Parts: sequence; C-alpha cells; structure tokens
Amino acid sequence: MEEQQVIESTPSGVRTATTTVHTDATCKWFLISSVSYFFIVGIIAVTIAAKFVWPELLGTVSILTYGRLRPLHVNGMLFGWLLACDMGLTYYIIPRLCGVKLWSEKLGLATAALWNVIILGAVVELLAGHTQGLEYAELPTWLDVLVVIAWVMFGTNIIMTVANRKYEQMYVSIWYTMGTILWTAFVYITGNFATMFTTGVNQANLNWMYVHNAVGLIFTPVGLAIAYYFIPRASNAPLHSHKLSMIGFWSLAFVYVWTGAHHMLHGPISQWLQTIAIAFSVMLLIPVWSVVYNFFATMKGQWYQVRDNVSLKFLMSGVVFYLLTCFQGPMHSLRTVNAIVSKTDWIPGHAHMALLGCFSFFAIAGTYHVLPRIFNTKLYSDTLANWSYWFFMIGGLGFFVTLWLGGFWQGWQWNNPSIPFIDTVIALKPIWLVRFFSGIIMFCGITAFLYNFMATILNAKENKA
Amino acid sequence: MLNKIDKDAKLFVGGALLLFFLGGSLTTIVPPLVDKSWGKPFENSDPAKGLTGKLLPYTAQEKKGLAIYTREGCWYCHTQQTRTLLADTKRSGWRGVDAPVSTPDEFVYDQPHMFGTKRTGPDLSHVGGKYDAQWHRTHFRNPRDLVPGSIMPPFPWIADNEEEFNALVAYLQRLGRAKNWRPDNDYEK
Repeated sequence: MEEQQVIESTPSGVRTATTTVHTDATCKWFLISSVSYFFIVGIIAVTIAAKFVWPELLGTVSILTYGRLRPLHVNGMLFGWLLACDMGLTYYIIPRLCGVKLWSEKLGLATAALWNVIILGAVVELLAGHTQGLEYAELPTWLDVLVVIAWVMFGTNIIMTVANRKYEQMYVSIWYTMGTILWTAFVYITGNFATMFTTGVNQANLNWMYVHNAVGLIFTPVGLAIAYYFIPRASNAPLHSHKLSMIGFWSLAFVYVWTGAHHMLHGPISQWLQTIAIAFSVMLLIPVWSVVYNFFATMKGQWYQVRDNVSLKFLMSGVVFYLLTCFQGPMHSLRTVNAIVSKTDWIPGHAHMALLGCFSFFAIAGTYHVLPRIFNTKLYSDTLANWSYWFFMIGGLGFFVTLWLGGFWQGWQWNNPSIPFIDTVIALKPIWLVRFFSGIIMFCGITAFLYNFMATILNAKENKA
Repeated sequence: MLNKIDKDAKLFVGGALLLFFLGGSLTTIVPPLVDKSWGKPFENSDPAKGLTGKLLPYTAQEKKGLAIYTREGCWYCHTQQTRTLLADTKRSGWRGVDAPVSTPDEFVYDQPHMFGTKRTGPDLSHVGGKYDAQWHRTHFRNPRDLVPGSIMPPFPWIADNEEEFNALVAYLQRLGRAKNWRPDNDYEK
C-alpha cells in the first residue's frame, strides 16, 4: 500500500501530469527577473574579483569601492538571483505536486513585483553605503520589512495551495518547501530585527545563527525541494526511497539550527557554546548523506542519461558539490582544522561551492527544465546549454580548488607569526589572479545561460512545442 | 509516526517549528543568560586578577567612526578578534608584547559587532595606539605608499574630509584599549 502511494506521488508518476492547466505567470516573472539579476550581479562579482588583483581599479569612486560592491554581490546573488529563482521554481513545482492550480496568480504576480522593488532598492541603498553592517543582513530596515511582507505573500500562496491539494500524501519536495517557508520567517526575523536590540557577542551570536541558517534552513531546504522534484523528473526514474527522504528531512530540521557559533570558533564566545556548535556541525553528515545516497540510488542504471540531458548534468554535479561542501563544513568546525582554514580564502571557496556549485546548479537545472514547458516551446539551443554547463563547471572548479589551496597555504602562514602579515598577502596574489580568470569563465556561463533563456522566450511563438 | 506526519500538514508544521525553536532558543536566548560576560563591560582594577582597565561607552565621535567603518565595509577584510591561538596573540601584539586574547566583555558596546569572518587585511582587534593619525592619513590616501604589496583600496574621500577622518581615527585608536596590555603605555595618538 505504502509502495503504491510513493510511486503515485513521485514526480515521475503519471498522475501529476494530468488534467490541471497551469498558467505559470508568477513562475515566469520570477525566473525572468532572477536570471537577469544573475547576469547583472555577475558583472559586480567579476569586478570585485578584479579588485583583488588591481586594487586601484575604480578605487577613487566611493560607490564603486570594494566595501560597497561586496555586499551588493552577496545580497544580489542570494536574494536577487538564487532565492528569486528558487521561489519561481516553487511556484511551478507545488501546484503540480498538489494536483491543483496555484492558489492565487494575482498574489503571485504582486509578490514578483514587490521582490523587484526590494532588489532595486537594495542596489541603491547598498551603493550609497546604507548598511546595517551585519553579514547577509546588510539591507536597511525598510527593505527588511518589505522582504518579510513578500515572504508572507509567498508563503500564504504556497501553503494555501498545499491546503487545497488533491493528493493526501505530501511528496518530500512539499515538506522541504513548507519547512523553508516556516523557518525562513523566523531565521530572517532573528537576523534582521532581533539583532537591532542586542550588541557585541550577543548580536554576533544571533547574526551567525542567521547567516548559517540562511544557507542551512533557507537555501538548503528549498534547493533540496527542487532537486527532489527535478532529479526523478529529468531522469524519468522514481525516487529511490521515500522513507530515507523523511529521515533526511527531520534530521536536517533538528540539527541545523544549533550550529551558528561555529563561525566564531577560538573567538570571544563561550567555549561550551563552541563545543555544542561543533557537535551539531558534525551531525550534519546524517541529513546530508541520507539525501545524497537517495539521489545516487535514484540514478542507479540511469547515469547514461546525464550525457545528453543538461538539467541532469547540473543536478548531479550539484549533488556531488553538495556532498563535498557538506563534508568540508563539519570538518572546518573541528577546532584543529578551524585553526588553519578559518578567516582564510578557503572559506569563500567553500561558500561558493555551496551557493554556486550546489544550489545555483539546482536552480539552473530547474530553469532549463521548466522553461520550454511554461512557454510551451523548446529550448533555443541545447548546444549552448551544454556550453553553459562546462563554463560553470570549469570556472567553478578553478575558483573552488584555487581558493582551497591558497587558503590552506595562507592559514599555515598565519600560524607562523615570524612571517610578516603583508608577505601572506603578497603570497596570495597568483591565487587571486586565477580566481579572477575563473570568474570570467563562470561569467561566460551566466551569459550563455541568459542568452539561451531569453532567446527561448522570444522565439516561443514561432517554435511551438 | 513518520507515516502520520506524512499526510497531516498541521502535525508537520508543529514538528518543524518545535525542532527549530528547541535548538534556536537553547543556542541564542539561553547563552547570554548563562554567560554574564556577554553583557557586562570589562572592568578590573586589581593587577592580581590580570590586566587592568575599563571598557568605556563610545563617545559621539567614536560612534561616528564606527559608522564610517561600517559604511565602507572595512569589516569585510579586517576581523576584530584575537583568537585563542598563539599566532593570533603574536600577530595582534606590538613591539614584542603579545596581545591578550579577546573576551566578550570587551565588545559590549559594539552595535553593529565587527568581529568579521574574512581576514584579507590584518586583524584590527588591538590596532588602537599602534599608528599615529598622520600614518593613518597617508595610509587612507594610498595604502601602498606605506605598505608595499597591500591590496587595500585607497579612501581619499575620508583622508580629505577632516571630520570623517578624525572620527574614524578616534574609533580605530580605541580598539583593544579596554585592557591596558602594553606595559610601557606606549600608545600613539
């Protein structure tokens, strides 16, 4: 009996593809704006990478200095590109898994409009130097309020769709999406509002709880919801195990929130709290490995499909990066390893593997998969899509691996106080040059992705599927 | 249990929030209640108990300096924590004296906190009093004039703005000064 239900509610099952007609207007607008921001913020990303090599570049204009552009890069990629793309895909996935239309397309379109107001507001405010000075939470308060409103609009729409669902059993993507909606609300409020009433270490602790869970309880669950939907869909194979996906979900729900203090290991924060954060960070291996095993087992006998299916290429590479980044994470939190890698250039290598290598790969895969379907056409160019994959892959690996090597080396140098600090900066210059060129290659990937995306939409009328 | 929660959205919501609040409250609300040093400014006048000194609230000018430091994103490249690592105490040290390890009670007035996550430039937790104002002015105009090989951006709009420059330097000069850690009291102004 249970077996039967699992198959029916799996994305590759027959039932989800039946009668309901979806308009997908909200999904379209979220995807169009997010992919555009991906490109625009990509320019900023390459610019700040260039500033590491040529520190004088644009250096005498205050609004174009590194300290102004970096928060724009981080917030633009996190909220303008990745979260917006994830939301767009959620508007696609949830109605299909529930067998009903989206609760309200009008509300969805209003959410998309509000989201664009937030991103454009963020560009102006951050360039002007109006920042709260907390990582991932730089946006000024009025924008924070708008984010909360937009999130409530998004959450209401999705939860009402789930409440009206036709199928009783909820596929695991629905769980992860609902988890994201609930947790994000509280994680975001902690990181952007509770911090206003605290100072010093107390504030830092709330800040790291937010930063860590922005990744762990926002981008991870929504990213996994997308992967859980598109891996079986793109490969046309049923999910290996529903039960294992439940273990992954509930262990993630339990473990993630405890780990924030591992951002301040050896720092001025209570030792016992550091130890708790370390213990729970290591436990993260449980949800991660159960998820990754499930994905690999689903692909058993299906790997040949990866050759010709760009979505699957991105998805399965994303899964490998997920496994790697979530192996690094627990290892960094061990005190001995942390003493070397913490605060070095290793960390951006790690962070980019999580948010670009894993979650952006999932989002790109989902976009490539849904784009022809929502516009009722075919993808403009499969070859170009394949090129975009290899640009991202080669540029990404160049970026990650170079920064790990450089960061590890830097950490060893720092731990030898007889080496003057400036020598450890000069030593890293070749690393930053390679990082810049890797960034250029990744930017080629973004450009190919954007071009293919827009060309598909503009040619949709002629190329009816 | 797992089967039931699989079909009942209300049970699901309850479970997901319960686990979140359990971990969330034990790691954010409880710690400052248990560890009082998070909220109590450093103060010690007894040399037998270690370094003496007192953490004072920010003056209006220093506060403005912190705001400029925040605005320009200095904290993206400079951490402010001397960690419990031997190398950190040596690197934050000055003229042969090791800097003391940073403790929570030194940061009670920091809003926003400036601990940082990335160390592209040196740690600034004990930079107060190491360099004089003239050094800072030259350094902000073009860091490479004083530190060849540096990749810090120039900040001419601060160096040339008397009010902003003085505020920023006032802020920098107080960093790490709550504890009197230099036996010769050789702080620059």
